[in-house]
Amino acid sequence: MKQKDLKDTLGDKIFYAIIEVFLVLVTLVILYPLYFVIIASISDPDAVLSGKVILYPVQITFSGYAKIMERQDVWRGYLNTIIYTALTVILSLVVTIPAGWALSRKTLLGRKTFMIYFIIPMFFGGGLIPFYNVMSSLRLNNTMWAVILPSILSVWNLFMTKAFFQSSINSSLIEAAKIDGAGQFRIFFSIVIPLSKAIIATMALYYGVGQWNSYFNAMIFLRDESMYPLQLVLKEILIATESTVGGSGETILEQYRLANQIKYISVIVSSLPILMLYPFVQKYFAQGIMIGSLKN
Amino acid sequence: MEATNRAPKESLLSRQKAFLRMTPESEKLRHLKENLPFMIMLFPAVLVVFLFSYLPIYGILIAFQDFVPGDKILSDTTIWVGFENFSRFFNDPQFWPLMKNTFLLCIYGFIIGFPLPIIMALMLNALKSRKMSKTLHTIFIAPHFISLVVLVGMLRLFFGRYGLVNNIAVSLGGERISYFLEASAFRPLYILSSNWQDFGWSSVIYIAALANVDHEQHEAAILDGATRFQRIIHVDLPAIMPMVSVMLIMSIGGLMGVGYEKALLMQTDGNLAVSELISTYVYKRGLTGVPDQAYATAIGSFNSLINLVLLIIANTMARKFSENSLW
Amino acid sequence: MKKWIAILLSGVLVLSLVACGNSDKSDKKESAGVEKLVSEYGFQWTDTSAPILNEKGAKELTFRVYSSKNASALDYNDMKVMQDLYKMTNVNVVWENVSESVYSQQKNLIFGNSEDRPDAIYHAGMTTGEIIKYARRKVLLPISDYLEYMPNFSKILEERPDIKNQLINVEDGKIYSLPRIEEMGLLQHPNILFLNKNWAAKAIEAGAVNGLSVDDLKDGLALTCEQMEAMLRYFKENDMNGNGDVNDERPLSFVFNNWQGNQCDLYGMFGLNDNLEHRVVVNDQVIYTIQDERFKEATNFIARWVSEGLIDKVSFEQSQDNFLANGKGLEIYGAFYWWESETVVSNPENYIVCAPIIGPHGDQTVCVSNNPEVSTGELVIFADCPNVEVLLAYFDRYYDPFISAQINYGPIGIVYEEELDEKGMLVQKEIPEGMTADELRLQNAPLGIIYLSDYAWNNVVNMEPRAKLRLERLDAYVKPYVPEGVKPCPVNLQFTLEELNKLTKYESNLNDYIRTNLIRWLLNGGVSDSEWASFQDELKGKLNIESIRQVYQDAYDRYIKNDGRKLK
Repeated sequence: MKQKDLKDTLGDKIFYAIIEVFLVLVTLVILYPLYFVIIASISDPDAVLSGKVILYPVQITFSGYAKIMERQDVWRGYLNTIIYTALTVILSLVVTIPAGWALSRKTLLGRKTFMIYFIIPMFFGGGLIPFYNVMSSLRLNNTMWAVILPSILSVWNLFMTKAFFQSSINSSLIEAAKIDGAGQFRIFFSIVIPLSKAIIATMALYYGVGQWNSYFNAMIFLRDESMYPLQLVLKEILIATESTVGGSGETILEQYRLANQIKYISVIVSSLPILMLYPFVQKYFAQGIMIGSLKN
Repeated sequence: MEATNRAPKESLLSRQKAFLRMTPESEKLRHLKENLPFMIMLFPAVLVVFLFSYLPIYGILIAFQDFVPGDKILSDTTIWVGFENFSRFFNDPQFWPLMKNTFLLCIYGFIIGFPLPIIMALMLNALKSRKMSKTLHTIFIAPHFISLVVLVGMLRLFFGRYGLVNNIAVSLGGERISYFLEASAFRPLYILSSNWQDFGWSSVIYIAALANVDHEQHEAAILDGATRFQRIIHVDLPAIMPMVSVMLIMSIGGLMGVGYEKALLMQTDGNLAVSELISTYVYKRGLTGVPDQAYATAIGSFNSLINLVLLIIANTMARKFSENSLW
Repeated sequence: MKKWIAILLSGVLVLSLVACGNSDKSDKKESAGVEKLVSEYGFQWTDTSAPILNEKGAKELTFRVYSSKNASALDYNDMKVMQDLYKMTNVNVVWENVSESVYSQQKNLIFGNSEDRPDAIYHAGMTTGEIIKYARRKVLLPISDYLEYMPNFSKILEERPDIKNQLINVEDGKIYSLPRIEEMGLLQHPNILFLNKNWAAKAIEAGAVNGLSVDDLKDGLALTCEQMEAMLRYFKENDMNGNGDVNDERPLSFVFNNWQGNQCDLYGMFGLNDNLEHRVVVNDQVIYTIQDERFKEATNFIARWVSEGLIDKVSFEQSQDNFLANGKGLEIYGAFYWWESETVVSNPENYIVCAPIIGPHGDQTVCVSNNPEVSTGELVIFADCPNVEVLLAYFDRYYDPFISAQINYGPIGIVYEEELDEKGMLVQKEIPEGMTADELRLQNAPLGIIYLSDYAWNNVVNMEPRAKLRLERLDAYVKPYVPEGVKPCPVNLQFTLEELNKLTKYESNLNDYIRTNLIRWLLNGGVSDSEWASFQDELKGKLNIESIRQVYQDAYDRYIKNDGRKLK
């Protein structure tokens, strides 16, 4: 019997209705602030700050966008971020996925030890100064690797990968392959990876977005401003300081107004690319479907 | 279907075991040989963690020193003070309030924030229209990209004395409340806005796991006459249970580790009694007056210790009650 | 297993290497002695208008200075001021600029990285505590040992013992940082009361206010608190800005606990010179205003105004930006406290300056803030900087008022004309199209270590018009109301390490306690006698207010004794 032929029972109908209502409410709650960000980015900053922008933009101005778009460092930041993100995603997948697979195997030698090895640094860290000094000793200071390398393994992601493999890969498939004489590498590459599109996509997303949004390592390790990633560039534009070094009130205020206007624009400028790419990533979530115990 | 699979598997395995029992040395060798690929797979991860997490760990010794940036950490010129930094923290009148504020904020956040992504993932997965499900999901992850500064800025606008929420309340006959000045409003605002921002993003992993659920199991359940709701409970939920357990244990282990940025941005004199967390306290100490890295490190280490204890407890319980534990 | 052990071993090895590798390093730069500097590089320092080094020195000696900079500023290496200075002195300074937010994170790292430090940090923002701690560790150069190479700076120290005293923070009596000195006389009083003239006129004409006529509504108006109260009530209850809504007017506004435009002037109604730290000097005694009984009375009085809506509660939660944004467009401010009116409202001509409000017992005074005009930690030099005599002679030039003016506002040729006016003062150039005066300034002026005081304002450069306006207003309507003997409690005092530790231990808890209670009282109708009594007990007991006060008192006593602190 095909599923389509069966009609929903009454219980099912109520169930779907409840879900749909709930989801609609949630969507509204999510949508309004997002909508606000958009209209605030094209409104006059004073109007935004005094709360006059509610349902539609007030005193529409694109000057904020113009100011951002005409800046060279913003475009360079985009380029840098794309490079850093691409490299991070590739490297992190290479590091995380195989390690997650190995950890998920019950026959792994010293499995418990490895787990503990990975868990400890999640809790105990030496702090910023030793981290900085280590990077310095490794001569990674002021290079893009200082921004990329520390990010290519996140223990959270590693454990999530492990859990995914534990629950989603049917062990009978693996056993069958072993009996056929396949080595571990062959098993990994020919069987596991094709079935792992969902986790690979998820990891690519998590690592990629993590790097896309980050700025801290760049801030402390990069002396050369032309290597700054987008988030850092935007943050610099955003931070109008409260020091009285600027002297007269007028300029500080002008900077505050600019900063407030830029706030919303920077959200859009930095998130749009990812949001546009997301639907493509989503496709991979549905492809890890098992096809029973078919092999060969 | 499972019944038919069992028989051949068992006999295969038992044949294998019988064969191996005949040569004990080759079993060990085989074990090692089998693990070599695993070691290679693990090596890059081990290396990265070693370089960037283990090497800097010696910095924890700062907690036991009178340290100023520029001092050597492991040499004869370092000034050791033992547990002085720790006892200073324990004796600080702010100690219990800070612990309480941090703990309550985190536990409430956890109680709401942990199930929410799971429920959302299950709901989205249950929708009939795949297209709707995907579209909604894309919308739900959008808030994740709003930076903290902007988020708090919006909160202050919406919940300010003359902000949207108050204006609506007044038009419905209520009165104006200065939410940001009320201590009792701090936690709800903080937690609900954090969840608003993150639930979509956190549900991605669950959605990925749900997408991997064997369709055959669903069909079998339907044949058995299960309602959609029952299908969720009996098919979807078990499928993501290992994921949920791992996330649960790790979240408990990270419970007290809330950062300072958001709380600091939301702090006012009015909510200070509730909004001063361990992390904001340490941050502010580091900024003004005398630099005290060592004190900050000591407090941070103490915080981590609590988290570690929580993690061990959570993992031990998971091991007793299920098979999904970290170790 | 073996692999695991191997990793562990190599780890320990690398660990020890890293930890120990941070010690000895080969000498990177060598310091030529002063004699060599003089003979080979033509080093001279006594003539402040001649080059410091000769051509050879210009090529061979280089100094690295790390500096945060304003987002709108050019890279310091590209600034005309710096290039002019190079031409004038032949000292090659290479600037490394970062933004201010990056610097705040980097500061600890720079100090923490003992191998690769710059020669100096400009815009260092060092707190007294930091200077003391680093000086003890011999990380910072004791600049006062090199005063013979710094004629301008030495002159300042001689002529201004008060500045000198603010700079001697460390117990050994030496100076470890160079200051920024900009004395306009504006910082001590961060609030001016502005009143909406037209609204006030309407209130008077409606008979709501006693003893006042419309002609009185000009700058300098001194209202009694009863008159002000009546005025504010009228503003609250009527539609003053003509938009049909009776409720959108904000009678009296400020920004609570902000560095300017704060609530402290209201305490002047009860004779208290309050400020954000609640600490001020009266007749050479350091006192805390919150220990004064009048503070309770004042708080209750103000709280009453709050509960009656005369002070809008939003004043307690709004940020500066919100406050300023709301002033634009449709007028909703009846009265407010701020630095100046031009930045707050779109129509400043509608607002008059008021003298301080006269309290119920006849008191009339204002906030006295502790903000210093001398910012002491502006520049620090690392102790291992080679040829430091040259660098100091170079920075000494910045203290010449003519150079200070250019450092602060912009160079001759871009901001100022080449020719001086008849009084010998700098003349401002036309501002180029499409820029404001401030944008031009921020782009071309690095700001930093300067010495601008009365002498400079009278002989070298004119104060900015808005600063001048503010000064006039303060001189006329604010400063006369400060009683003799009331002075700010300086923040740049010399503390012993023990005193510093006491402050670190107790002060922030004290401040938090005061702040949480104060806002609660002001928002909830005031403080009862019994609560006030237990508050005082807590202050004296658990919060150790007396030890803190004593620390400041001791430090202050040291400060005013001109003779005690000689440079060693």
